[in-house]
Amino acid sequence: MSGNVLLEVKELRKDFGDHSVLKGISTQISQGEVVAIIGPSGCGKSTFLRSLNLLETPTGGSVVFEGNEITAPGTDVNKIRQKIGMVFQQFNLFANLTIQDNITLAPVKLGLMDKEEAQKRAKELLERVGLPDKADAYPAMLSGGQKQRIAIARSLAMNPDVMLFDEPTSALDPEMVGEVLGLMKELAADGMTMVVVTHEMGFAREVATRVMFIDEGVICEENAPQEFFQNPKNQRLKDFLSKVL
Amino acid sequence: MQNFINEFTLNFIDDNRYQYIIEGFINTLIISLFAVLVGIAIGFLVAIIRSSHDKTGHMKAGNFLCRIYLTVMRGTPTMIQLLIIYYVIFATVNIPKVFVAVVAFGLNSGAYVAEIVRSGIMSVDEGQFEAGRSLGLNYRQTMQFIIMPQAFKNVLPALGNEFIVLLKETSISGYIGLTDLTHGGDIIRGITFSAFMPLIAVALIYLLLVTGLSWCVSKLERRLRVNER
Ligand SMILES: Nc1ncnc2c1ncn2[C@@H]1O[C@H](COP(=O)(O)OP(=O)(O)OP(=O)(O)O)[C@@H](O)[C@H]1O
Ligand SMILES: [Mg+2]
Repeated sequence: MSGNVLLEVKELRKDFGDHSVLKGISTQISQGEVVAIIGPSGCGKSTFLRSLNLLETPTGGSVVFEGNEITAPGTDVNKIRQKIGMVFQQFNLFANLTIQDNITLAPVKLGLMDKEEAQKRAKELLERVGLPDKADAYPAMLSGGQKQRIAIARSLAMNPDVMLFDEPTSALDPEMVGEVLGLMKELAADGMTMVVVTHEMGFAREVATRVMFIDEGVICEENAPQEFFQNPKNQRLKDFLSKVL
Repeated sequence: MQNFINEFTLNFIDDNRYQYIIEGFINTLIISLFAVLVGIAIGFLVAIIRSSHDKTGHMKAGNFLCRIYLTVMRGTPTMIQLLIIYYVIFATVNIPKVFVAVVAFGLNSGAYVAEIVRSGIMSVDEGQFEAGRSLGLNYRQTMQFIIMPQAFKNVLPALGNEFIVLLKETSISGYIGLTDLTHGGDIIRGITFSAFMPLIAVALIYLLLVTGLSWCVSKLERRLRVNER
């Protein structure tokens, strides 16, 4: 499982005004890893995840992606983001476009594929996420679970090297959580490198290769799931687990 | 009935007076149409500069100029703007009055279109923008393919309304001696000394134009709404 280091985070800090949210986070994420991030609400999980593709601009420290320091001034963030997929809690499918166009827009406009190629790929991806008949539908016509599967397909169309998930199942009705987690599990099995902020402890335990607990702006503990859940050492993690498990 | 026919003949048929109405109608159409186009062009440009400034902090100078423009255009009466453009700005050059009117109404309308479009851009969920950027699309591509189409759809009713206001506002064109529809009717009234026929005719034509415009806007709205259930 310990492939090349894909992402290296060093002393990452983020302040909103005088509110310090990330207070020096350092970690490495290697190819093929599935890292689950858990922690209490407001502890900075989203901020951390969004710093990895620079949707938030860190106020200190650095992020190195595939050997390039992307937090350095002058970095072409758009180029970097093509290789870092992101899936949002609120899906954020493009409301003005059909499902097929949602998937093909970025690859075509960024010149990675021509239109036919992209449509062929969209078709494959729709098969893969189990929604082959939705190509011409609009996002508003889909259920939450379907939207999130399409959002994952849209990310996959860019052939990312790593995918970031920010609570991908938190906005779903309970009966739809399974279909999305199932798909993520398949991705993990196919070797996709994933960083997943989640409240789904079952997913963290079964699918993740490493679980990370963030509280008060720092990583309090990170470990393989077995050890993490059965033998937590940090007191705040113990308290947290006793509440959520 | 005989009276009606007499009045009608007097006001529209004798001396081919209907031609004042025709000429005015055509001028009103030309002014409105081109002023709308100028207004859309200016309005979208200003809205994009202003919301880009809000989103990215760039274009400080552009934003400042836009704000001056908006303040002046929305803070003074349209008629004064028309008179200033005709008698002050274009005083020494000899250009067609219709052109002056297009410039005046286009500049004026642009200010209102700008704020309508800007509110439309702001009404699009921030997540749409982030999703675009997270895929590697740059700011311009995200605006062009994702944000603007949704913003446009959101503000279409307000834009339609603005164009109706603009169409009716061109009725002050007579103040620079231009024969628009209103002025055309008024010329007839001045000749025949009968108010009812020419004024009602003019009012009916405006009504028809506005109704037609509303119909087009709502048809367009329905077509753009296919992506909602
Ligand atoms: N744009 C912003 N401006 C100011 N404060 C912010 C901003 N974004 C986040 N914060 C603050 O930073 C802190 C961490 O937010 P973040 O969204 O990262 O938390 P989280 O761990 O993802 O929480 P949740 O589980 O509720 O999603 C919160 O206190 C939040 O109010
Ligand atoms: Mg969050």
